[in-house]
Amino acid sequence: MADVLLLAHAALGVLGSIAAVWVFVEALNARPENAERTRIAAMLAAVPMIGAWICGGYWYVHFYPREKALILAGPWPFAHNLFMETKEHLFFVTLILALLLPIVVREPLYSNAAARKMVLSVAGLIGLTGLALEGAGAVIDHGVKVALLKR
Amino acid sequence: MNAARLSPTTSGFALAAAVTVLFSTVVACVKDANAPFKAFMKSLTDHDWTTQGLADVLLFVTLGLIFTRLKVAPGHLTAILIASVVAASLGLGLWYALY
Repeated sequence: MADVLLLAHAALGVLGSIAAVWVFVEALNARPENAERTRIAAMLAAVPMIGAWICGGYWYVHFYPREKALILAGPWPFAHNLFMETKEHLFFVTLILALLLPIVVREPLYSNAAARKMVLSVAGLIGLTGLALEGAGAVIDHGVKVALLKR
Repeated sequence: MNAARLSPTTSGFALAAAVTVLFSTVVACVKDANAPFKAFMKSLTDHDWTTQGLADVLLFVTLGLIFTRLKVAPGHLTAILIASVVAASLGLGLWYALY
């Protein structure tokens, strides 16, 4: 159960981030023909991020405390103190941006430069913060690994 | 392509996102520095992180609906949103690196 939730959290986060990059590319080439596709891509960024929040949140509240204790007793305590602490709060930034994206792409991007800049900004920020979150997840995972190897 | 305005819904929720991102960052720092506040947040949903997430989403939706009545220049709005995300990201990283 714990492993499924953790892997689903990571997979859904990647899916949402990739969909945000997809929105970014569609917005760069905004035309009436790709407006509907852009809206679908924005939903594919938002919905997986909500799923990542639920799966990751349940895992964090119910299963992470044991791993946290391992990390703090191991050689990489910063994997929790810096990376997990930052990740668990930075996630809300990505989540809010992902919820904003489907709202912003309702604008006619092909004829509205201001809306296009807004979409490029929001989608780009989701992509960047999403990558940072995935990287932090890898560091946290390695923090557990080096703690177990030291035992 | 014209430099058109954003719809009230887009403007309102973009501004709400900027405010929510900063609110979330401040809450993250305050709850770490103030144990009674963290305990209060925990008492609401069994975990302070859960309370914070729900509060963020609730604030985003509520402010978004309220801010649809405001008029903000689109260029300023995009800059405010980017600045808030950069400030939140750097702020959280620095807080946990130094705290």
